[in-house]
Amino acid sequence: MYHWPIIFLNLLLATTLAYATEQTSLGDEARMIQASGKKHHGSESLIRKMHPEFLLHKRDRTSREGVRTKKHSLKNCVYCHANKDKKTNQYYSVNKSGQFCSVCHQKVSVSIDCFACHRNTPSKGANNAQ
Amino acid sequence: MHNKLNRRDFIKTTSITSLSVATIASGITLTTFAQRKNPVTNAKRWGMLVDTNKLTETDIDSMVDACQKEQGWGGEKYSIGNQKPTWIRKLKVKDKATGKISNLPLMCQHCEHPPCVDVCPTNASMRREDGIVLVDKHLCIGCRYCMMACPYDARSFVHENLTEQKEHMPRGKGTVESCTLCVHKVDNGEQPACVVRVNSEAVIFGDLYDPNSKINQTLKKIQSTQIRADLNLNTGVRYSGI
Ligand code: HEC
Ligand code: HEC
Ligand code: HEC
Repeated sequence: MYHWPIIFLNLLLATTLAYATEQTSLGDEARMIQASGKKHHGSESLIRKMHPEFLLHKRDRTSREGVRTKKHSLKNCVYCHANKDKKTNQYYSVNKSGQFCSVCHQKVSVSIDCFACHRNTPSKGANNAQ
Repeated sequence: MHNKLNRRDFIKTTSITSLSVATIASGITLTTFAQRKNPVTNAKRWGMLVDTNKLTETDIDSMVDACQKEQGWGGEKYSIGNQKPTWIRKLKVKDKATGKISNLPLMCQHCEHPPCVDVCPTNASMRREDGIVLVDKHLCIGCRYCMMACPYDARSFVHENLTEQKEHMPRGKGTVESCTLCVHKVDNGEQPACVVRVNSEAVIFGDLYDPNSKINQTLKKIQSTQIRADLNLNTGVRYSGI
């Protein structure tokens, strides 16, 4: 059982390092919240470690039981964490290389298929932020 | 405390939160909230009544159009022939004796005993507690048994990579899809897109169980039928005028 703490520590280290190098990709909406001095996720280390579980839990709650709250909804992650290209005024795909849902994953060799189906940019007129 | 959260603590905290949510919210009805907070229950059964006499062919075409616009299907570039997704379509039926032709919109009939759910090897094909039959695409492996099992030919398979999906309706290559009764709208207290598009007398949507609902009252009054009633699937979509 001793390998679990080690794996966890490694992941923590990897994600922290990834964070340190790529603060700029946080996303327009999220950066605005940060700039205003507020926090969205109660604890950053929690969301960093636990977001896969949160997402999968929410996924089942929504698609099988019809629970449609904003908390941990994937739409909402995309809404806050997408960056706009200042020149063209178009959103970058949130899972594009160098963008928020990709920087850490590249570092730790995680690949996710969520955006084969889910929209990877906020849709026009979207305002889902909690 | 947050920094040391392990899997077991996570399960503990989440079950406590969901318990307290359940107790707080149990006395509050859905209509007071725009967004659904509690799991759906079998106290409701969603259904639809289609009066084919009140629907013209153009009405049915516009129902199909409303569905495409809402859910974002129909723009597939590389799919040909019967590869094209069809969530709802116009069907012509002819009475052999009299030659009477009726047109009807056909989509997933949201059966109480859905054959597509029986055959699914991964539990992806599912019937929600409130009677809506769905594909949980997260579990779908694309085997298409459900498409073979469905007597209404109501399901389609996505044959190509897609982009620019609707935010509320993720769709992707390799999975099966079908009419969801616009579950994303129904959960927020709205009506399905095709129902909104046509005359409110021609297509009625509502809770079959609720004696105060228009659909329940109308079904008590008029003659209606289920398509392939002989299969005893007890469909949620009913028709009158055929
Ligand atoms: C309302 C906007 C908003 C939503 C919705 C949102 N975030 Fe965040 N996110 C932020 C902000 C702001 C921060 C900066 C830290 C903070 O405020 O807690 C952040 C930080 C993070 C971090 C840590 C970033 C780092 O560099 O270490 C992760 C990981 C993260 N979010 C993932 C998610 C996921 C996954 C979702 C969807 C379940 C999500 N976020 C939804 C605003 C949001
Ligand atoms: C094959 C297509 C497909 C793939 C791949 C997919 N999803 Fe989904 N997802 C859906 C559909 C369909 C819904 C249901 C939408 C509804 O009912 O509103 C959904 C809903 C969700 C929801 C609830 C709605 C929301 O926006 O919060 C979450 C969370 C979610 N998915 C997470 C994920 C995650 C995480 C992944 C990747 C690990 C993923 N999904 C991959 C099709 C897909
Ligand atoms: C702070 C770095 C970081 C950010 C930012 C981040 N992730 Fe992750 N993500 C990880 C790590 C590390 C893992 C692997 C965790 C594990 O395996 O336990 C992971 C795993 C996942 C998984 C599970 C993959 C699997 O196959 O099990 C999903 C789903 C996921 N992330 C979604 C997202 C989404 C969506 C975003 C953007 C909103 C995002 N992540 C942003 C670090 C991050």
